[in-house]
Amino acid sequence: MAALFYILAALSVISALTVVGARNPVTSVIALVVCFLSIAAHYVLLNAQFLAMVHVIVYTGAIMVLFLFVIMLLNLNKPDGPRKSLAMRLAAAVAGGLLFITLAAAVRQGVQIPPAAGFDPGVGLVRSVGHVLFTEFLLPFEVSSVLFLSAIVGVVMLAKKDKDGTDQATDITEAERARRAA
Amino acid sequence: MSALVLLSVVGVLLLYLGLFNQRASLAVTGVVGLAGAIIVIAAGWHLESPLFGAIVRFDGPARAFSLLMAGATVLLFLFGVDYYARMQRNVAEQYALMLFSLIGGILIVSFSNLVMLFLGIEVLSIPLYILAGGKRDSFRSGEAAFKYFVQGSYASGFLLMGLALVYGATGSFDLATIGSWSTDPAHGHDAIFLLGLLLTLAGLAFKLAAVPFHFWSPDVYEGSPTLITAFMSTVVKTGAFAAFHRLITALQLPDAVGTMLLTLTVLTLFLGNVVALRQTQFKRLMAYSSIAHTGFLLLALLGGDARSGDVLFYYLTAYTLATVGLFIILTLAKRAAQGDEHIRIFRGLFREQPWVAVAALLMLLSLAGIPFTAGFVAKYRVFLLGLSSGHLFTTLFAVAMALLGIYYYALVIREAFAPREQEGGTLAVAPLNLLVITLCGVGVVALAVWPVALP
Repeated sequence: MAALFYILAALSVISALTVVGARNPVTSVIALVVCFLSIAAHYVLLNAQFLAMVHVIVYTGAIMVLFLFVIMLLNLNKPDGPRKSLAMRLAAAVAGGLLFITLAAAVRQGVQIPPAAGFDPGVGLVRSVGHVLFTEFLLPFEVSSVLFLSAIVGVVMLAKKDKDGTDQATDITEAERARRAA
Repeated sequence: MSALVLLSVVGVLLLYLGLFNQRASLAVTGVVGLAGAIIVIAAGWHLESPLFGAIVRFDGPARAFSLLMAGATVLLFLFGVDYYARMQRNVAEQYALMLFSLIGGILIVSFSNLVMLFLGIEVLSIPLYILAGGKRDSFRSGEAAFKYFVQGSYASGFLLMGLALVYGATGSFDLATIGSWSTDPAHGHDAIFLLGLLLTLAGLAFKLAAVPFHFWSPDVYEGSPTLITAFMSTVVKTGAFAAFHRLITALQLPDAVGTMLLTLTVLTLFLGNVVALRQTQFKRLMAYSSIAHTGFLLLALLGGDARSGDVLFYYLTAYTLATVGLFIILTLAKRAAQGDEHIRIFRGLFREQPWVAVAALLMLLSLAGIPFTAGFVAKYRVFLLGLSSGHLFTTLFAVAMALLGIYYYALVIREAFAPREQEGGTLAVAPLNLLVITLCGVGVVALAVWPVALP
């Protein structure tokens, strides 16, 4: 079991690094799929079958397919990204490194924490997740409908085409227009 | 709770009214619904009702901040009658999204479970990302929406990671349980808890636009439709601050978090006030002024005790009144100046609309913190709180920054009372706008003699 965990952990880390490091967007997306699948496997190891299934269906299935579609439809699969200045890259490296040091220090100190509650073998099953969702967390569950409704309204509002086709931005300055044309 | 249901139903009703092109009844329906919600919230003023197994808890501060946010939304809806009059499409959606956002605001001021905090922040934010891009024909509006969305999602990631770590350390999402866990001296240096708290506060600081998490704010304020900018700087700020206050007063804060808050306060006070000195576009000026006010509000929170709730509520009420009024006056002046936002558009305001100019004067004086306005009393109470919690040097620094801040408000006042050199378009004020401006102008003076205390 421990060996399986280390293999999966290595797979997650390597694929996550590939996502960030790859020059080609399609490689990044495929690596992200691998990363998501290995994380789903971690969920199974932790006895959270329901979460693992949802993770595979929603993230690996729906969202990543959408990513691939966008990349292919917009023809983005050329390996070029926006160039960042040296100062910006340096600042990002320093900030990210500091966060990493803080996280690493916290984990190093915190590995001894005992589990807060006793282990319950039924905790990640569909039955128990559903039970908690419809009793203790009923309000958050219902409130998320407001969230989805606003997202739907937003999509319709922002993406719907005008009947007369006057959809173009009117206040683009000359500099911006030149920059976009270039 | 019934207020939440009422607001959701009214939101959906507004969408239906939009479907059937009932443009005239949109604002009326919205205001009636909000009035209903205000009555429902105020009716239980002295009740403390934990709901759904204490996922949310409608106590005194929660009710007070909910009322403030709903009241500000009413003022903005009244302004919306005129603002949206010449907009052809999607008016109903804009009103409905503002109501949905308000629901998120009410949830985060009353949360007592971290799950609800996260979900409330998302319900508050997602309609805003859309509303920021509400002007479809404007490039800047789209830019604002995109910047806000990307940076906001990033901040949500931090918040979520922080909440997960707090859960990992304490084993609970319940605020009271986490609070009693954190008072145990053995847990004072728990690294996972500390890290979780730092990431959580960083995520919330983004919503408050505290330096160094403020980079989105000037661009988003400038690009968004003015009504939405006013909504962001009043309702959203109130909600985020009340949630921040609720979180940190419930916990025994570790020393490192106190240091972080102190750093945030000093940086925010300094950068907000100093950068505002150089702004000439009114919306950007208001964005930096908003950052500066975040600094003063953070100073009130530094002590971390429950008394700061009163001060916070008073300050935010004064700030909301002044901000709503000023953004309405900006819209009118901008309209007369064909879309210019430079502060020179206020030139000649006193000659044309003396009462509007006087109201603007009162609101600007209040924001600057000149005596006999609510803004002065608010700042005074913040400084007293800062002193009593032992932050002498920070308070002195804040006083210095407040004095510096008077300069950029005075610039706008000077423009409003200067004679106009060349003839521009005339500044027309609709009766309903005049009513809201009058309410805000009188409000910032009346509030100065009415000390607000939370139940």
